[in-house]
Amino acid sequence: MRKTLCEGVFLGLFEYMNLFHHHFGIDCKLSGSVFSVSDIVGAVPLIHGPSGCAFHHRFTPWRMYAPVYNVESTNLGENDVIYGGERKLEEGIVQAYRKYHPSLIVVLPTCVSGLIGDDISGICHDLRSEINCDIVHVSSEGFSHRGRELDDGLHAMANSWTTYQSSASEEYELKGCGQEEVAKALVDQLMEEQDVKDNQVNIELNGRCRFSFKRRLEEMKRIFKEIGIGINATLLGGTVEDIKRASAACLNVVTHNRIAAKRMNERFGTGIFKKEPTHNGINGTEQFYIDVASKFGLAGEAEAAMKREKEQAIENLIKLKRFFGNYRFAMISHDWMFNPHMVRALVDDLGINLKYFCVNTHQLRRMYVPSGDDLKSLQAELEQLFSCWGLDSQIIINPNLKEIMNVAKNVDCMLSSEPAAIWHGCEITSTVVDVSSMNYLLFQTSFKGFVEFAHLLALNIKNVTIPKENHSIISRFNYDQIYYPLINDKSCSASREMWDLWKS
Amino acid sequence: MALDGGKFLGAYRASLGISDAVVLCHVPIGCHWGGGILAGISRQQDINHVCTALHEREIVFGGESSLERSLLNVASLHPGPAIIVVSGDVPSIIGDDCEAVIRSLDLDKKIALINAPGFMGSMRDGYEDALLCLAVFMMEHDTIEKSVNLIGFCRDDFKVDADIREIKRLLSYAGIKVNCIISNCSFEEFRGAPAAELNVVVGQGKLLAEFMKKEFAIPYIEAAYPYGLEKSLTFVEKIGAALDLSGIAQNELDLESYKKIYVYLQKLNGMPVSIIGDYHSSPMAQFLEDELGFDVNVNSNFEDSSFEDHVASSNSIMIFGSSFELKIAKVLGIPLVRYVYPVFDRVSFCDAPFAGIRGAQFLTEDIVNAALMFRDDYITRA
Repeated sequence: MRKTLCEGVFLGLFEYMNLFHHHFGIDCKLSGSVFSVSDIVGAVPLIHGPSGCAFHHRFTPWRMYAPVYNVESTNLGENDVIYGGERKLEEGIVQAYRKYHPSLIVVLPTCVSGLIGDDISGICHDLRSEINCDIVHVSSEGFSHRGRELDDGLHAMANSWTTYQSSASEEYELKGCGQEEVAKALVDQLMEEQDVKDNQVNIELNGRCRFSFKRRLEEMKRIFKEIGIGINATLLGGTVEDIKRASAACLNVVTHNRIAAKRMNERFGTGIFKKEPTHNGINGTEQFYIDVASKFGLAGEAEAAMKREKEQAIENLIKLKRFFGNYRFAMISHDWMFNPHMVRALVDDLGINLKYFCVNTHQLRRMYVPSGDDLKSLQAELEQLFSCWGLDSQIIINPNLKEIMNVAKNVDCMLSSEPAAIWHGCEITSTVVDVSSMNYLLFQTSFKGFVEFAHLLALNIKNVTIPKENHSIISRFNYDQIYYPLINDKSCSASREMWDLWKS
Repeated sequence: MALDGGKFLGAYRASLGISDAVVLCHVPIGCHWGGGILAGISRQQDINHVCTALHEREIVFGGESSLERSLLNVASLHPGPAIIVVSGDVPSIIGDDCEAVIRSLDLDKKIALINAPGFMGSMRDGYEDALLCLAVFMMEHDTIEKSVNLIGFCRDDFKVDADIREIKRLLSYAGIKVNCIISNCSFEEFRGAPAAELNVVVGQGKLLAEFMKKEFAIPYIEAAYPYGLEKSLTFVEKIGAALDLSGIAQNELDLESYKKIYVYLQKLNGMPVSIIGDYHSSPMAQFLEDELGFDVNVNSNFEDSSFEDHVASSNSIMIFGSSFELKIAKVLGIPLVRYVYPVFDRVSFCDAPFAGIRGAQFLTEDIVNAALMFRDDYITRA
């Protein structure tokens, strides 16, 4: 648990910084592509553009604590923009091969190479026979993005909360997603036809360098093995060889890379299983394994395995559930639009008595979702969901600090996805627990992860003391009343508002 | 791989240094993000940059309407006196006429335009050109005697605030006032730069100094970044000489504090090291060689893409560089001392400079501690 806490807090510093900067901007598609390529063991990203792009894309938002050091650049200059950069691309590929002897070179064009029209696919094709490694090119130009308008996809996502399944329209335009573009390119250019092996799945489990990756994978392997299912490959956090033979699996278990999964289905007939928002918590994780196993006619084996896993998890949670039962809770979160089912997991599996659910939608606005009717429809879906679950929690959208303080008076414990120290400056007398450093455990489909979260939560609740007089430095700052925990500063507010305006 | 940040990033960094202006980046989102997050590591309360977020629509139809809309919005939202438009790679290729857009608007803020496509030069080129463009803001002033401008700084340089404080302290002992630090000043301070008697170019910004010489008859000298005891004295003496002040530097350096760790300094004497950086690297190399007695095997800059190969083939056991040198340091199993932009895995917000007399102490302390921390991995092995 110490390791989980260390990772959550210390590596979480970088995640928090990343989140903070999303108030003022967002990185481009190339960033997602660089990160995804870095996840593949033995692959080297080659950025085809000016050196400035590669300079900062090494510092990828997805894992700022572990920059992508092995990024190569073709370093396009003015002459290349005028006459074309194809020669430099050829040289760059050859040099990258000589330097790293990688299994795979992934060519990532930038805005500049996209605009000048270099024949990247042609160069890659010509060089494939000349160097002893695979070469793939991706559509990663930074200006390429989905539209600023609200996608049908977000409506479909909200709809799936209540229908418990995704609609076809959920596969919305993802051309702005660098990760998805890499996955699609690998399907089209790298994967090879394989003899399909029985009872094998591919798991979408990216973030090989992100914390808890190994632990999640180990649990999944163990449980699937018990059921009689093998993991053929983890995509994209595996080797180049793993990716090549990915089509040996009968089924892809996907979360994000749905377009790539669809391409695999078209090319190789690989089945698709989508992880749903409900596949969290004890019951949700159980359902996940049973749903996957059902695809192989192994539902009975899965139920037996789940009985053991669930019993063990529930036994680990008995005391904790009793402990949590002593408190009335409020939750302050910006994560809800990704998975409100996480809330249900807390209520059902941990016995959390949730009186208030305060939602900060500014995170949503940072990701291009405008305010107004679209947010109202999402809010309505959420209310319907809570009603289906029989939750009588009061939902408050974008509460200001005063409203938060009122909520705090009526509960014993506030779970906040922002650092707790800022609340201590607001005369909040209830216990405030910062769950931001352990939240990631909730989003995993994992029994152990969920139990670990519960232990950490209980530990935090027990150890938090409310100071009679708050002298912490962080509590003395003047915070923006609406956009907390941003500091109240006109220049910062202007920069943040400009980013909001870009979306309107 | 060592990489240069490109012209856009240099211009962006120069512009961010005008603290109460707002920098409007006319670029796709990624260019704005990269410079912004690196600038915000140790300046989290101070975000003065925005962008026009160019997308496919602008590629096809042009980005001028986005620029116009952004200018109008930022002018109404931002409290500062000036807007600095930095135009990057994409507008340059698609042919946006940013100047025409700015001319067409009647805003009550000063506006400067810097065309800085990344592929047109290095980060230093961008910095130099940006300062030249910003010079339009400068105004004639009566000269303040014995005052200098220090040119060459960036607001997001590692330890920059502490370094500036120390440099000002040293100069003040010599009776020299600092009129303006470029580029780490307010808009009014920048406008008042022509009041200085002398410009001191510390590593970069020579084009601005030449312009100011021509335009405002302000002479300039070039001085190396003041790392180390002797070099700090030399720095002050050089400026003093240019201002006709003599005998101003301390004659004897106080070395008492170094005696406290002299055994370690003896042991570390002759240590082979490698160094990479921008204009900070040569003065740092001199300090390491002359005053700490290190053996600088590799002395390189960010435009040298073979730095890692050179280090790997040397016998260096310590690297001086940016946070991006951590990988080669880890691969070789040697300590990294971070001293040059970008540093994103250390913060610097207190008065602990690397420059100047006080800075030599802090720097020496960091170096010795980096050496001592090498043993940390051995603890669990024992």
